[in-house]
Amino acid sequence: MWKDIQSRETGRIRSNTFANRFKSRRISSLQLSNRKDFVSPHRGSINSLQVDLTEGRYLLSGASDASAAVFDVQQATDYEASGVIAKHKCILSVDKQHENGHKFAISSAIWYPIDTGMFITGSYDHYIKVWDTNTAQVVRDFKMPGKVYRTAMSSLATSHTLIAAVTEDVQVRLCDIVSGAAAHTLSGHRDGVMSVEWSTSSEWVLYTGGCDGAIRFWDIRQAGCFRVLDQSVTQLGIRPPILKHTVVSKKVSAAKSSLGGQNRLKTLQSRHTGSQIIKGSSSAKSSVEKSRQKRLHPGMLSTLDRATAHYGVVTGLKATNDGMYLLSAGSDSRIRLWDIESGCNTLLNFETGRMQTNKAIQLATSDDPALVFVPCMKTVKALGMWSGRTTRMLRGHYESVNTCCFNSTDQELYTSGADRQILVWSPGGTVEGEMVQDEVAEDEDNWSD
Amino acid sequence: MAERDDIGGKVMALIEKATKSTAQEVDPRLLKAIKSTVRYSDSEVRLGAQTLMELMKTHDSQVRYLTLLIIDEIFMRSKLFRNLIIENIDQLLSLSVGFRNNMPLPAPPATAIILRTKAIEFLEKWNLSFGVHYKELRLAFDYLKNTLKFKFPDLQANAARIQREREEREMRTKEILLKKFDSLRKRFGMLKVEIDDTVKEIEECLEIVQWRGDDGIPLAILDEEDYEEIRCSYLRQIRLDSLKQSDKVEETSENRVVFDVLREKCKLLVTKHLISVQEGMSLLTRVEVSDNRMRDSMLKEFIDIRNNILATKKKYEDAGFTFLKIRENEETHEEEEDFWEEDDGKVGNDPVKIMAPVMRSQHGEGSSLASLSEAIKSTTETRSYKPPSKRKAVSSGNSVRDKLISEAPVMNWGSQLSNWDSTTEVRANHRGLEVESHWGRVDQDAVIPADKIAELNLQASVYREERTETPPCRAPLKKGGLCQRRDLRLCPFHGVIVPRDELGNPLVQESPLNESENQTSSSPATEIDQDVPMDETTSDSDPSQLARQIAKQALKNIREKDKEVVKKRAKLVKLKVKEHNFEVLREAAMASTSRSAVVDEEFDRVFASKQNKKSSMRRKKTTAKDRISERLFSNRSKATKPKPLAGDDEKCRDTAANQW
Repeated sequence: MWKDIQSRETGRIRSNTFANRFKSRRISSLQLSNRKDFVSPHRGSINSLQVDLTEGRYLLSGASDASAAVFDVQQATDYEASGVIAKHKCILSVDKQHENGHKFAISSAIWYPIDTGMFITGSYDHYIKVWDTNTAQVVRDFKMPGKVYRTAMSSLATSHTLIAAVTEDVQVRLCDIVSGAAAHTLSGHRDGVMSVEWSTSSEWVLYTGGCDGAIRFWDIRQAGCFRVLDQSVTQLGIRPPILKHTVVSKKVSAAKSSLGGQNRLKTLQSRHTGSQIIKGSSSAKSSVEKSRQKRLHPGMLSTLDRATAHYGVVTGLKATNDGMYLLSAGSDSRIRLWDIESGCNTLLNFETGRMQTNKAIQLATSDDPALVFVPCMKTVKALGMWSGRTTRMLRGHYESVNTCCFNSTDQELYTSGADRQILVWSPGGTVEGEMVQDEVAEDEDNWSD
Repeated sequence: MAERDDIGGKVMALIEKATKSTAQEVDPRLLKAIKSTVRYSDSEVRLGAQTLMELMKTHDSQVRYLTLLIIDEIFMRSKLFRNLIIENIDQLLSLSVGFRNNMPLPAPPATAIILRTKAIEFLEKWNLSFGVHYKELRLAFDYLKNTLKFKFPDLQANAARIQREREEREMRTKEILLKKFDSLRKRFGMLKVEIDDTVKEIEECLEIVQWRGDDGIPLAILDEEDYEEIRCSYLRQIRLDSLKQSDKVEETSENRVVFDVLREKCKLLVTKHLISVQEGMSLLTRVEVSDNRMRDSMLKEFIDIRNNILATKKKYEDAGFTFLKIRENEETHEEEEDFWEEDDGKVGNDPVKIMAPVMRSQHGEGSSLASLSEAIKSTTETRSYKPPSKRKAVSSGNSVRDKLISEAPVMNWGSQLSNWDSTTEVRANHRGLEVESHWGRVDQDAVIPADKIAELNLQASVYREERTETPPCRAPLKKGGLCQRRDLRLCPFHGVIVPRDELGNPLVQESPLNESENQTSSSPATEIDQDVPMDETTSDSDPSQLARQIAKQALKNIREKDKEVVKKRAKLVKLKVKEHNFEVLREAAMASTSRSAVVDEEFDRVFASKQNKKSSMRRKKTTAKDRISERLFSNRSKATKPKPLAGDDEKCRDTAANQW
């Protein structure tokens, strides 16, 4: 570390690189934090964790006792053992006793991506509720046809405020906070939908994974899904081989055609918008799209529509931050890494153990080093995203882990599960930590006899 | 290198050997050997941890139990070992506590239970000692405690509780000591004076006794001479003894009084004063006060007093008195008392303080002092011994005591008198018996506050009517003698009870009832009756009430008789006049026929009117005074007959109830 600082001082490495090196060193030394405790107010297994996207400071948790809580990650509420252990109590908590609280388990709790003034909870009592954080009151609620498994909001969205909600119903619903009603229903799945993820590159693209084992890509401007991932459509390596592009496209005709269609669509769009600015006729645009859609709709190709990404339920979806890859977890205890561009299974073998099958799980990724944190029953495994190797086993929970949440600002990982604990995994072996270790001299050898 | 391997093997061998036993404890020698070997280097620790974790996986609770004991020993000592164990703490716990359903504890069930309890205990201990440093320990503890609801022995809380209890107890004893010290300081002067007096008295008595003895033979001179004669030491010893014996004074009827006093005083001195002094000394040595000088001076004085008492005692014993027997008895008794005082502190102490002056005054007033002074007077006219201060105190005490006694409430004898006026708290759960309660833990320090105790000791006093002698009726009976009925106001046979003389004649004037009766009955003779009160008022100058009443009665009797005579006479006259008139009128009527009827009518009318007038006049004679008296009487009669009224009332109520 001192070498890095020196080279930064002399200008041999750039500040960005320096920071990245520092961060990656921290991330690779994650361990159970002894000095940070979340005091969980939940009395049931915690199903959802999310750090807010604006400050990276507030952690939202939703649990199966119909309670949701907000923690301040940075500011501890009180200290124990002469300031060594920081206790973080929840700064906001809503539960069944709340007049508008959920009746049954909260399956997902997410922040409004623009600020921390709102959060959205989805529950098994068929309701999605939008809460005002400051008053802890419900400002909107949406009735769903079945248990809500997961909700998601796009972090990129500038033109819409849609909550994508997946339920035990086959249809995916898009609820508009502004209008207070379901704007779209996306139908295509043959069973309940377990997981949902917005694209991190486009605000209109949505990925859903269902209990039928399919992962579908949706463009919310069109009806129907534009892609169904097939685990048998594979590519070697994490990038599609450019040289053999034509060959591959010939071989995997259907997938490639759809990809090509998408590409063409995009170019067409850009051309269209570029040439017809003055006109601005959306009707013409939509008509063009519709024609494309009709032509390329995968629903027409029944073989393609029946493709599956996992054997069993797709329990978790996670798009990488660069928007190029999609990670999916399934009840077949596999993690698959998909190339979003080509829609191919990259055939990377992740060394997962047994994974939870009946519940949605939440994966987390870190950028540098590219790790994916996967809850594997009682442990959390940090797997290399490009190697699939286990870099760390995070053991601390006494019951199965449901969720992981990576806080990239503090390089901390939060995990929680059925044992009602929220554990903090923070970089170990830091200067700070050593100082504290020096300070507390109690933990020493004591061979008094 | 080979050596190291050797040692490594040694660790494994030692651990395996230690865990093979069937005992409840690891062999301490083996354990010590393991510890010293593991201490040797880090690699030993690693190897030891590995071996122990392997052993924990064996399917035998006994092996697991012994392994756990070894783990605990090393865990509390080595940091590296802690780190190694904590990496697999969940595994260790699942193997020792067996909280996973799919991994129950193996075979010997009894040992398995011990293993589990021990593991839980160890986990708590570890968490207490190292929980701050290891989040994993905290998590494990929290999980077992809050999620799986295992019952932990709760060592820390228990220890804290015990510590707190001890502190409280100490504080309380300190407080009690201070209170005792205060009370001691207050009565210190009194005690001193008292003891001094007693000592002085004993000395004087001894002097008297010894002087009497010396009076007989001048022994001292004889001694000198005899010394020369008797050479043999043995004989001399006997001689000396006998001399000494002769020194001792025989108790005779003459000086018995002095002896009694002496004995009594000594008893008092030894049983009461000496003990109180010793108590005070022990208290002073134990108490912690800010004013050390005061305490020290008091202690010094106490020591002096004690020495004084002991010297006196010795003198007394030298004089040939034995109070061994008495002492033995008294001491055992006293010790018991002592114990109780110690035990319930202030409560026991207080009555002594309060009772003391009373006892003392009783002593002085009663047997001892009086007899003493008497004895002194009788035996020695030359020596006039007067304890002036004491006398005064006694006399003043006496008057005060009388005064107090006159004011004091009369209470029944009972145990509540023992803590009369005490302001101390009473321990609720202190019975003096160390009996385990079967109803759970007992708070040893629970106290009942003083005001509550006072409330509880409040004696209900039942109102007792003072028995007064109800006087007998004493009305004369027909068969002779007087009526012996005792009624409050009214004898059912003889009317209102009035004071009567020996013969049963009422002494007082007749009650207003009789009077008014008289008045109403004797309405025809109102003119005479009218005079009576006038007479009464005029003749009321007589000072003696009784004589006056008698006179009045006599007068009344005479008048009654006179009245009757007058009445008869008047009746006779009236009849005669009537006859005469009738005769005359009839003759007149017979003589004149024309007017006869008219005359007759008129006569009749006149006669009737006359009669009417007469009767109306008679009726009119009731004056205002009479009316008032009548009303008064009616009221009184109502008052004297409350029972029927009450009955009426009840009846009314009954009817009212029936109406509902």
